[in-house]
Amino acid sequence: MTAPARRPAARPALLPTAALLAGAIYCLLPVLWVLIAATKTRSELFSTFSYAPSFSGGLTENVRGLFDYSDGRFVRWARNSVLYAGVGAALSTMVSAAAGYGLAKYRFRGRTLAFNILLAGVLLPQITLAIPQYLLLSKVGMAGTYWSVLLPSIIYPYGIYLCRIYAAAAVPDDMIEAGRIDGAGEGRIFRSIAVPVMVPGLVTVFLLQFIAIWNNFLLPFIMLSDEDKYPLTVGLFTMINQGVQKPALYTLVITGALLSILPLIALFLFLQRYWRMDLLSGAVKR
Amino acid sequence: MRRRTSLVKTALAAVLGAVLVAGCSSSSDTGDSAAPKQSAETGPVTLTFWAWAPNIDKVVAIWNKQHPEIHVTLSTQSQGDTLVTKLLTADKAGNPPDLAQAEYQALPTLVTGGVAADLTAYTGPIKSQFTDSAWQLVSFGGKTYAVPQDYGPMMLFYRADLFTRFGLTVPKTWDEFAAAARTLRAKDPKRYLTTFSAGDPGWFAGLAEQAGASWWSIDGEKWKVDIAGEPSRKVASFWGGLVNSGVLQGQPMYTPQWNKAMNDGTLLAWPSAVWGPAVLAGIAPDTKGKWAMAPLPQWTAGEQKTGLWGGSSTAVMAKSKHQDAAAKFAVWLNTDPTAVDALVTQGSLYPAVTAGQSTPALTKAPDFMPNQPDFYQTAKQISGTAAAVTWGPDVNVTYTSYRDAFGKAIQAKSDFATALSTMQSATVADMKKLGFDLAGG
Amino acid sequence: MDDPGRAAGGSGRPGSGPTGSGPARSRRRRAVGSRLAPVLFLLPAAVLFVLFLLIPIGYAILLSLHGQRVRGGLLGRRTEVWVGLDNYRAALADPELWHSLVRLVIYGLLVVPIMLGLALAFALMLDVPTARLRRFSRIAIFLPYAVPGVIATMLWGFLYLPGVSPIRYAAEHLNLPPPNFFGVHSIFGAVANVAIWGGVGFNMIVLYTSLRAVPSELYDAARVDGCGEWQIATRIKIPLLVPAIVMTTVFSLIATLQVFNEPMTLRPLTNLIPSTWMPLMKIYRDAFIAGDVYSAAATSVVLALATLLLSLGFLRLLQRRAFAEER
Repeated sequence: MTAPARRPAARPALLPTAALLAGAIYCLLPVLWVLIAATKTRSELFSTFSYAPSFSGGLTENVRGLFDYSDGRFVRWARNSVLYAGVGAALSTMVSAAAGYGLAKYRFRGRTLAFNILLAGVLLPQITLAIPQYLLLSKVGMAGTYWSVLLPSIIYPYGIYLCRIYAAAAVPDDMIEAGRIDGAGEGRIFRSIAVPVMVPGLVTVFLLQFIAIWNNFLLPFIMLSDEDKYPLTVGLFTMINQGVQKPALYTLVITGALLSILPLIALFLFLQRYWRMDLLSGAVKR
Repeated sequence: MRRRTSLVKTALAAVLGAVLVAGCSSSSDTGDSAAPKQSAETGPVTLTFWAWAPNIDKVVAIWNKQHPEIHVTLSTQSQGDTLVTKLLTADKAGNPPDLAQAEYQALPTLVTGGVAADLTAYTGPIKSQFTDSAWQLVSFGGKTYAVPQDYGPMMLFYRADLFTRFGLTVPKTWDEFAAAARTLRAKDPKRYLTTFSAGDPGWFAGLAEQAGASWWSIDGEKWKVDIAGEPSRKVASFWGGLVNSGVLQGQPMYTPQWNKAMNDGTLLAWPSAVWGPAVLAGIAPDTKGKWAMAPLPQWTAGEQKTGLWGGSSTAVMAKSKHQDAAAKFAVWLNTDPTAVDALVTQGSLYPAVTAGQSTPALTKAPDFMPNQPDFYQTAKQISGTAAAVTWGPDVNVTYTSYRDAFGKAIQAKSDFATALSTMQSATVADMKKLGFDLAGG
Repeated sequence: MDDPGRAAGGSGRPGSGPTGSGPARSRRRRAVGSRLAPVLFLLPAAVLFVLFLLIPIGYAILLSLHGQRVRGGLLGRRTEVWVGLDNYRAALADPELWHSLVRLVIYGLLVVPIMLGLALAFALMLDVPTARLRRFSRIAIFLPYAVPGVIATMLWGFLYLPGVSPIRYAAEHLNLPPPNFFGVHSIFGAVANVAIWGGVGFNMIVLYTSLRAVPSELYDAARVDGCGEWQIATRIKIPLLVPAIVMTTVFSLIATLQVFNEPMTLRPLTNLIPSTWMPLMKIYRDAFIAGDVYSAAATSVVLALATLLLSLGFLRLLQRRAFAEER
């Protein structure tokens, strides 16, 4: 009952291939559109067929226009997005790692209660929190600062949940015991034993939170009033909704949209091998 | 178990306490600080200014160079509604800016919030530099709360080349306008004379003002709300009839589709305001030199009336600690010839101050309309015919109701005048809920 | 090493530690240390949780019990007053809220089944060994996840608006009936499409990696018995995926209940989306446009409670299926 030594080349399965291709085209449609639209100048944008790219130098003109807009505001927005997402995700991962490890590896009273309260946090609508957060931060004079967007982003219940699962599955109890026997303190054990093992899970949490913060619109929209502190999402939104006395510069907005999605796409492609997405389905194999 | 539960209890008690403390400190009324602060300004003063007018930083830079003892720090803000809310919240928290750019329809909200300072003492000398219509926008109950900055008298923009092609004459009355719209549709079913926008309540408000509507008025100590009155109904039914029968388009303005339609001639006319050329330049770059401007069509032949669309003022915040200096800056920004000229050239604003309307930058045609060299002379003349307008304390509610009600009416092809009634009831209900006294119930 | 001296006093070694009591002392210290440790590990998360989740919710509840009234005649000041449960009564009696909830249900019924159905289908197809273009499709379908909701909606807006839509253009040139994305009923599909487009890839990857964790011996046995791919998919793979499907459904439900970005961004383009189209839009309008934070707080507390009950109820119902593996 053994398989033959050499298998003949299998015929490609047509239906799955066709379906996957259709799905890929559907998903790429708007991305392709924005790529091509960014190459068009203002007069070409609405007068030529959408999917016909323009080679008359529209792209360079648009990019230059975008960077010139309001004294380089776009660059500031991009920098802000990197700041909010990078620092926010980093801090969030550290907090989640510690909390997840604590919940997974220690038995203490109230452990399940703490975990359930945490999960309930995932279920709260963001807007329910954003408005009182805004009012409270206003009271202490912090509304509209960088911290007003960073601090609420650090607590990431879902990240703690993922870290807990990963710590439970990936960090062997016997290694921890061995560490204790050797006299290491708990913090030391966490740093030297648990964290290195948890790295793939931590990278996943970092990436998920980075993307979530990068793409977040509501929180910075409510917290910030100063355009120089906006991330890309809010900045581009205001570029479209400029009120009646200013023309919406669609070519610049489109180019801005293109430039703002490129970093994330690059991040994905580059870090594909480090994801541990099976965390999310609750089934972790070490 | 007991130790852990008591820990949980303590934690919850602490949280509750923190919440109560946070809540209690918000319900205290803000002190009445309407009287101007006559503080002795010793040493350099720094003022914060929230504004969004294009290139206003360059105008502020001029001030900063001329007045080293009063330094103004600009913070560019998102517009309109959200900014007003942020001002109200900042005021409540005790840290508003010193100055803010406030659209005219947002001023009463700031005044009733106790946020805008009474500037009557500072603005007495400059009142004569503005028309009554402009001054009314910033005054309530005999007191002045801001300095008018720019002004948006409405006028009609049309494609002169396409009018010639289709044999249309510039309409002088709204009846002629309707006739021109029908003629155009008959000649070219792909084009419309213009569109009715359910997304721009300020636009419709200006048209209603031209017809004599007075949505809010003050009757002694009471407010009178008359959004569904006869003049507004006349305007609504006029447009409704044309849109519902397909003579005019019913799509919102300021969308990519509208941009395209304006650029390729699908739409031939645009009832807009004096700042129109700057917008046209941005959205319809291929049509430079093809647009012309004329006064809005009138309801009665021979009349000369128009409404207002857009425009903002500079207000000083009541909680500012440097009201003297702030008021000085606000007055300078909007009346000083250098400042006004900069606002015009850098920000493409049409100044509310009468003298500013003949500033050197406004003696030639706008860049986008070189075919009309007397554009600004005509504009100044039109500007003098603008109606006097009073805004109510909750314009945002009315505006949102406009968008919802007229959007629905267009889609259902129903009577536009009913949409007005919806707006009226929404506004009245909100004002009553807030506790305002309304005349006539 | 933390302290070599103490190390000698670890458990199991005869007492040669510094104070001489050896194992007992270090056991006690270790016990104390490890009782304190979880608290310390959880402390940052707990502090942030209290500050940014619990206190704001408490404040929202407090706000919802207040209102604003004008004191002082014509241009009187707005002051905060206690109104008790008035805001809740008004919110629950508001027909706009109920309409928006009905719309939310319609929207949810569109988004969740279609998005997860497609994700499942794509995941299964990726798992067919003889399918081609798998790597390309996987990346392409995941790409929309990288696009923020606001930008995605803006892009789709360009594809929807009749005046500028390439889809309509293509349909007209191919003599097909041009699709009307902004119709009374099709508006739901238009908004749902943006959400589906953005979410299929993420859910597909989650389900696919679950599939990959299944040992292939299971399939080999079935193949030897003569099962085709389709039967393997329906009889083996899908049942194994049920826990993952449940998890993704719950999280999709939660996200769908909070739909805000997509309709807000599409609203200026069409007459069909009023300011209260979805519950969160109503809350935003109350808080930021009408300036009434108090009603907004009441509505959002109501919404939060409904979300909580719904999610917990759903999870409870399916807890056994979702966490079957852990048992």
